Amino acid sequence: MTRLTLFNKTSLILGFAFLYIPIIILIVFSFNESKLVTVWGGFSTKWYGELMSNQGIKDAAWVTLKVAFTSSTIATFLGTIAGLVMAKFGRFRGRTLFSGMIYAPMVMPEVIIGLSLLLMFVALSIDRGVMTVTLAHITFSMCYVAVVVQSRMSSYDDSINEAALDLGCTPFKTFILITLPIIMPAVISGWLLSFTLSLDDLVIASFTSGPGSTTLPMKIYSMVRLGVTPEINAVSTILVGLVALGVVAGSFIGKKQKIN
Amino acid sequence: MTEISTLEPWKDSAQRPYIEIKNVTKKFGDFSAIDNLSLNIYKNEFFSLLGPSGCGKTTLLRILAGFEKPTEGSILLDGEDISQVPPHLRPINMMFQSYALFPHMSVEKNIAFGLKQDKLPANEIKDRVDEMLELVQLTELAKRKPNQLSGGQSQRVALARSLAKRPKLLLLDEPLGALDKRLREQTQFELMNIQEKLGVTFVIVTHDQEEAMTVSSRIGLMDAGHLTQVATPTEIYEAPVNRDVADFIGDVNFLEGTFKGNDNIGTQLDSDDAKCIVYATQATDVDIGRKLWFAIRPEKLEISKKKPDFENNVLKGRIEDISYVGCMSTYHVKLDNGKVLKACRANRERSAEHHLTWEDEVYLHWLPHSAIVLQS
Amino acid sequence: MKNLRKIINGRAAVIGIPYLWLLALFFFPFLIVLKISFAEPIIAIPPYTSLLEWGDSFWPTIKASLDSYLFLLDDSLYINAYLSSLKIATISTLIALVIGYAIAYSIAKAPTRWRGILLMLVILPFWTSFLIRVYAWIGILKTEGLLNLLLISLGVIDKPLTIMNTDLAVYIGIVYSYLPFMILPLYANLEKMDFSLLEAAADLGCRPFKAFWTVTIPLSLPGILAGCFLVFIPAVGEFVIPDLLGGTQTLMIGKVLWMEFFSNRDWPVASAVAIILLAILVVPIMYYQKSQEKAIS
Repeated sequence: MTRLTLFNKTSLILGFAFLYIPIIILIVFSFNESKLVTVWGGFSTKWYGELMSNQGIKDAAWVTLKVAFTSSTIATFLGTIAGLVMAKFGRFRGRTLFSGMIYAPMVMPEVIIGLSLLLMFVALSIDRGVMTVTLAHITFSMCYVAVVVQSRMSSYDDSINEAALDLGCTPFKTFILITLPIIMPAVISGWLLSFTLSLDDLVIASFTSGPGSTTLPMKIYSMVRLGVTPEINAVSTILVGLVALGVVAGSFIGKKQKIN
Repeated sequence: MTEISTLEPWKDSAQRPYIEIKNVTKKFGDFSAIDNLSLNIYKNEFFSLLGPSGCGKTTLLRILAGFEKPTEGSILLDGEDISQVPPHLRPINMMFQSYALFPHMSVEKNIAFGLKQDKLPANEIKDRVDEMLELVQLTELAKRKPNQLSGGQSQRVALARSLAKRPKLLLLDEPLGALDKRLREQTQFELMNIQEKLGVTFVIVTHDQEEAMTVSSRIGLMDAGHLTQVATPTEIYEAPVNRDVADFIGDVNFLEGTFKGNDNIGTQLDSDDAKCIVYATQATDVDIGRKLWFAIRPEKLEISKKKPDFENNVLKGRIEDISYVGCMSTYHVKLDNGKVLKACRANRERSAEHHLTWEDEVYLHWLPHSAIVLQS
Repeated sequence: MKNLRKIINGRAAVIGIPYLWLLALFFFPFLIVLKISFAEPIIAIPPYTSLLEWGDSFWPTIKASLDSYLFLLDDSLYINAYLSSLKIATISTLIALVIGYAIAYSIAKAPTRWRGILLMLVILPFWTSFLIRVYAWIGILKTEGLLNLLLISLGVIDKPLTIMNTDLAVYIGIVYSYLPFMILPLYANLEKMDFSLLEAAADLGCRPFKAFWTVTIPLSLPGILAGCFLVFIPAVGEFVIPDLLGGTQTLMIGKVLWMEFFSNRDWPVASAVAIILLAILVVPIMYYQKSQEKAIS
């Protein structure tokens, strides 16, 4: 093992400082007594209390959770199938288009995806609301799930499935009893990824939501446009905390699976 | 008579083969992995498919297991056509090259898996699993997960799992390929004992000729989707059908020449390599003047400093290289015309005095019945 | 590969479910955008004319209009916005590459037991809200913000710097937000690198920096390309960062599209903007897809 040089150490320290200081500052100032986000006025949790009485934020949070839970669950189902198809189905007609539709949404600017979905909903006269946001989120989340599952499946030993068939297990049962448990960590991390993507999304939700389906990021965005307040810091802190918890739980599940 | 037919059923036309592979062809696109291949395998045989990688042996095994469907031809098991039966309904089990153990199940659950698919009662499954664990001597590791096993242990679990359902036929794809040499040799004998004990018909795929020679009742030698020779290990070694077979199994010297006719010794060959007439016991029935080859195994070439007291089959040369492997040495002897022949000798004495060394002038000699006459 | 096909019955059905979903909710919407970009804006619901008109004859007449595209060409605002987006995305990508390479390289050289944790620390911000991470910079960069307070109290500057609402703030925002996307593919590539190659180069008389330049960099090219595409493509169409951190003079096409759509309500022009943006990005997107597929299989 090569030793870390001074250059290596410096770049790690500066790099992680760059990545983390803004978030740490954000969290610290959510506990600021003062209304000014940049002047420390003493420790206080009053902004969290204020948050609890803000009906608009609570409604938005509820919508967001509903959308995130539904969309990530359906996206995991669709994405797992898509990942299997990509990894193990070889060539079929329209495969290039299929893989294009899986990979493109991950890099394509969100404004384009949002606009196109909105224009379709309008053209088909579908009323915009929680349902349309959910549909939109399923569509881009499933691509992430597909890629996670695909990369897991491409290292999957096919003879494990053949062994199950050989021992008298039907094809469908083989998928349920053998394949699915083995790729479960990938499926779970796909679900977590979908959930946080949905939780985060502002642009696509702004295009596809309608009255009564304001999501939390949309709410935060409109608050930010009006000015920086400790209340936004407080919401952000809660969100960051939740996601960090999820990621740690996710990696814990992954580790446990590995040990077993 | 009956005794012979149970030991060598393929020699008895009254015996019915257990597995009949009839004119099977398997194409992947334009490529024929198996080309119009027919083969009979008998009950209780330990049959090896041997050949270089890409010769189609694994494809043939996968056709037997049902993972590939033959493009043409049919497979009969115990008289019943199984070509169209899906793998999970065949009374055939397979041991995979990668072992393919289910990583999320313990050793005993792996072994019980096939029995559970047959919906056997729980106590029967338990008895059978215990029996299998005992057979492969893994009783104390029953609760372990596959990633806590060594290579040799995984191999035993895979074997136990594939035997648990008491299949009519067990297919083994390079079963010992992942083990190191010492363990492999030991496991070969265990496999043979288990096969004998359970009386299951084994078909094994291997690229390791020594392994095939050790374990098999018969060997099917494959090349480019064809069977080149099907015979017992001894026949394959001592009576190969052509130069490719002779060369694939063990070491061999070839003398090329033209057929001079048969005399009271046997075949006379006017050898370009030896620059004289050489003899083999076996008489040959081809036109005079046709090209023929003599194949002589290195251990059947006697090497000595003193000219042997024989009139025929004596060649003179000089030692060019020696490969010493302890129990024996192989001498590369260059004849006057430049042709190099290999001769082996067991090192039966420790002292170096009797040893031959580089640049020694030596004579090579073989008995006429040691040479194999090949027409191609 | 072929074996799983047989394991899942009804291969067509299995392919069909995700395929139809993506066709309906990803591919089909683009056709609609394309269609609307050839329509004309009207004051109605929906605010555009229909492309096909059924008259007396059996076949509809196609009423395609290139007005929206001509309008984009006519007004220098749009062309400038495209060029400025490409410029901002390129510069940000290069900055992210330099910073990201240093971090990824250092992680790859760290002891094995550390790598998992360091990688986790890179991924963690990527999971937290994009919007929140951009928002966090407002408090730092604004005139009376923390950076200026810090620099003034250290005596580095007398008067606060104007960073907020400038292109510089946008660069910082993009680099910060997309840095994990740069680090991850680079790390994945560098982790597999055999560092004894550098020792071999040194052994053959190559100086460390030159060895890095002639051995490490060329070998990590696939990682560099993947990282750059992963940052560049979404950055070109970025909306949130220029909107929150950039000023009024910061022109980016994502923002223009948003304004065109939500403020001006000119849907045909917004659609034309999206189509041209897509046309610009289609080559990098396809390249990215190809390289990803190759990397996975």
